[in-house]
Amino acid sequence: MPWNPGDDLVAVQRGPEPGGLGGAYRVLGETLRGLKTSFGRVVEGTTTIEYPEQKTPVYPRFRGRHRLHTFEDTGLEKCVGCSLCAAACPADCIRVVAAENDPIDRVSGGERYAAVYEINMSRCIFCGYCEMACPFDAITMGHDYELADYNRSDLIFTKEMLLQEPPVRTPLRAEGE
Amino acid sequence: MPRPEINEITFVVDGREVVAPAGTMLADAAKLGDVDIPVFCYEPKLGQPVGACRMCLVEVEGIPKLQTACSTPVRDGMVVNTETPRVKAAQESVVEFLLLNHPLDCPVCDKGGECPLQDISYGWGRGTSRTVEPKRHFEKPVELSPLIAIDRERCILCYRCVRFSQEVSEDYQLILHERGADTFVGTFDGHPYVAPFSGNIIELCPVGALTSQAYRFRARPWDIEQSGSVCTLCPGQCNVSYTVRDDRVMRVLSRQNDAVDDGWLCDRGRFAYQSSYVDDRVTEPLLRDGGVLRPVSWERALAEAARLLGKTPAGLGALAGGATSNEEGWLLRRLHADVLGSRDFDSRSGASGPAVSAGLLAALDTPEAQATVPDVEWAHSVLVLDSEPVDDMPILDLRIRKGVRRHGMRLAVATSRPSSLDSIAEQAVRFAPGAGEAFVCALDAAVGGIGDVAGLAAAAGADAAQVEALGRMLREAGEDVVIVWGERLTHGANPDNAARALLKVAGRLSLLDDHAGAGLLQVPSGANGRGLREIGLLPTAGPGYREPAAVGRSAQEIAQATIAGQITGLHLLHVDPVQSFPERGLWEQALHAGAVVAHAQFLTDGLREHANVVFPAEAGAEKEGTVTHPDGRLQRLRPAVARPDGARPTWQVLSQLIAAVGGQATALTSMMVTSEIAEAVPFYAGITHDEIGGFGVRWQEREAAAAFPAGETGPFALEDPRPAASPNGALRLGRFRSVWASPEVAHAPALKFLAPKQRAELNPDDAQERGIRHGQQVTVTATGEDGSAETIAAVAHLRAAAPRGSVFLESGLGAESVDVLDAALVHVNSDPARPA
Ligand code: SF4
Ligand code: SF4
Ligand code: SF4
Ligand code: FES
Repeated sequence: MPWNPGDDLVAVQRGPEPGGLGGAYRVLGETLRGLKTSFGRVVEGTTTIEYPEQKTPVYPRFRGRHRLHTFEDTGLEKCVGCSLCAAACPADCIRVVAAENDPIDRVSGGERYAAVYEINMSRCIFCGYCEMACPFDAITMGHDYELADYNRSDLIFTKEMLLQEPPVRTPLRAEGE
Repeated sequence: MPRPEINEITFVVDGREVVAPAGTMLADAAKLGDVDIPVFCYEPKLGQPVGACRMCLVEVEGIPKLQTACSTPVRDGMVVNTETPRVKAAQESVVEFLLLNHPLDCPVCDKGGECPLQDISYGWGRGTSRTVEPKRHFEKPVELSPLIAIDRERCILCYRCVRFSQEVSEDYQLILHERGADTFVGTFDGHPYVAPFSGNIIELCPVGALTSQAYRFRARPWDIEQSGSVCTLCPGQCNVSYTVRDDRVMRVLSRQNDAVDDGWLCDRGRFAYQSSYVDDRVTEPLLRDGGVLRPVSWERALAEAARLLGKTPAGLGALAGGATSNEEGWLLRRLHADVLGSRDFDSRSGASGPAVSAGLLAALDTPEAQATVPDVEWAHSVLVLDSEPVDDMPILDLRIRKGVRRHGMRLAVATSRPSSLDSIAEQAVRFAPGAGEAFVCALDAAVGGIGDVAGLAAAAGADAAQVEALGRMLREAGEDVVIVWGERLTHGANPDNAARALLKVAGRLSLLDDHAGAGLLQVPSGANGRGLREIGLLPTAGPGYREPAAVGRSAQEIAQATIAGQITGLHLLHVDPVQSFPERGLWEQALHAGAVVAHAQFLTDGLREHANVVFPAEAGAEKEGTVTHPDGRLQRLRPAVARPDGARPTWQVLSQLIAAVGGQATALTSMMVTSEIAEAVPFYAGITHDEIGGFGVRWQEREAAAAFPAGETGPFALEDPRPAASPNGALRLGRFRSVWASPEVAHAPALKFLAPKQRAELNPDDAQERGIRHGQQVTVTATGEDGSAETIAAVAHLRAAAPRGSVFLESGLGAESVDVLDAALVHVNSDPARPA
């Protein structure tokens, strides 16, 4: 006995057969519709960014290469070498070795300062936890994303590198852009 | 006072029925039911609770007010609630109160991350602060001592440090100044808090008020790892935990083992780790070439050492220092006894004179007569005989003080130099330096009530009435008597007689039968003295106290034989006899005469001048192996950090030396050596690293202890002891070695300030006769038998407690050490070149 499909029946709706006048009209019509999109874009102008001559602008809250900060008035480092960023970092890529400040020749505002501060950029996942952990706003995520290099060890950023302004400024997106 | 019997009771905490020993404080008892009550000031190690911080408030049904769980003992049927709204409110208020004056220093504070105040504020605090008032301010950080920094703003006034200083180490230096919110911790007149156990307050402080200067800002808790091992700087063998960051030891913490250290450490054990990171540590093999030691390859050094040791036509001598592990000692013994056929080796650090015979050693160390460290605390009475615990085995000093203070133990001290325990001792008896043997004979007569106490006491230079009183006290105090005796007692000319006398005293007090809680506890002169003795690294005993086929030469005889040309090669394992043996002149000649192969961490005087080959040795934290505590506890050393680049472990070097001189090196790992030892020493049979575990195992408590050989049991007839030299115008020379006289202390930057200077301790009357004032430069002159005179310079240190007719000088200090003087009597004069 043949199988009874019951309610499971699917009705197949077929389109018109190709060929004929209707067919020719449909082909031309669809082609023109496609061309409309293409020519429409030509009229809009180019949006391609000529990277690397030109940098992609980023949003203000973009999380790129870190920056360490100093106080504007005293020039002392904000970082006190507390290692909280290292503790928060899920990729375990920050290394801090602290030392005691010499009261005559201070490095930071607190009792201690970071004698060694290194971030291994090849490991960083740019989660921003370090920025959140820092009790002194000493480290923030910057806007720079050009971090490629030829050598892994060159990707270990030292304190000096992180304290410096990045060599090329990354453009920011304007409000509402 | 013997250990009390403990009954179990049942009480209810937060609705759970919990069984706890009666009398336990609620804070501890609640833990048995997995209920955590926050505490700050409570620390059972410190003795009685003080109830200072009020953090531990709980509600006890039937008592209207909240109670402090740290000072309320549990009773049967008690119902305790720790989570009611009243308790919550109280806890929140106490946290808020404690934080009123606590600065927000956490990011710069060394305690941050391992801080009870952080944890408790987080767990039991309100979570927000309502304080707008200014906090109190102190100058910070201040140096409390060169080892400890104090930040008074952070202090929450829990009294822990003060209680430690007042009631545990009893140095009475720390106090609280002022009252109320102005209270602060300090010493009375602001002098630095320097004491042998000061470092413990760093670990005790529940906040970051007391921090270690050496560890200051070195690492945060998430940067580090802890690695457990055992300190081998003295026979105390405290359990330690090394804090490691980047494969470097950063600090040493205590790893509480109540059977060994009670959770304390001395400052030497705590800070000496620094000595392994100094430039002048030996990190590669050195060979003397053209008069200077130069680095060479391992192959070359091994070949040269094998040539010096293997091809000696005459004899060979070997010495092992206190820090030698059982494995190293065993391989040294195999190399010399089994491969090279020499029986001349000794492991008694700083000993002159012959060693005690095997039978007597076995009798002294028999499991029945063995007292444990906790027995010291619970005994009816303890006699400290010819030992200064704070110098020889510092951690034992705290245990003795604990017994006296908390359990009413009665203490007697019998030494030649005034002891730091005198002030808490019921009896303090002095005898002439070096007259230990005569003194024990006198004591035997006094305890037994027979014999010529007066005559023997006179021979010992002691007061007969005092000896009698001491004997009476030991007899009458109660059956649990522990005699803590220094190995020094058997370093005289006739050690067997001293050992027999001691056995007789012990027998008379029935310490030799199998009565738990009483017995003998030796303070060996080397950190692993007991282990090396048990594996047979002695001239008089084989492995497991077996009688050797022939008695070998003792350390002193080795030196003499080397000078006489009968011994041509000397093998020194972790020891520089010039530095640590009494006859410095003799050893200098011996090392000069013989070819010297050494294993050392530092080039001390003797090695720098005379060693031919020096192999680098591991520091404590790099070492693997086992050691045996004076009470028979086998403990494990585990490496916490790697050895310096290219260095090899000493057991491996010894094993390679065995192969190089044509023997069969059987050990591929340190553990294989341990099992060789377990086979050779009958009462260690079957012991493994696993069984030893983290807290060690006493072999007396294992089945194999039945294989302990029977020692000589007497009855003994004592020979007449040699009487102490009569001063006759001169002064008797006593020697002592301070806890700070060691190469580790001299090399550790943090401890350097403690390295001792030579001083002559003498009685003020003796000083006055010679026109000497306190602090004045003096010369100490000894005239040898041949009429030659040796002189050393010292600073006069007058001590009213010093017995008349004696002067005490420090050993272990290098060229200014008392070891330069080889005589029993000396003359002390004010230094004409440097008048006061
Ligand atoms: S962004 Fe994240 S992964 Fe990168 S350093 Fe900071 S915490 Fe680590
Ligand atoms: S950057 Fe901030 S969190 Fe990291 S060590 Fe410095 S102060 Fe601490
Ligand atoms: S008492 Fe002895 S074993 Fe304990 S820490 Fe001090 S030196 Fe080390
Ligand atoms: S812990 Fe109970 S009062 Fe401090």
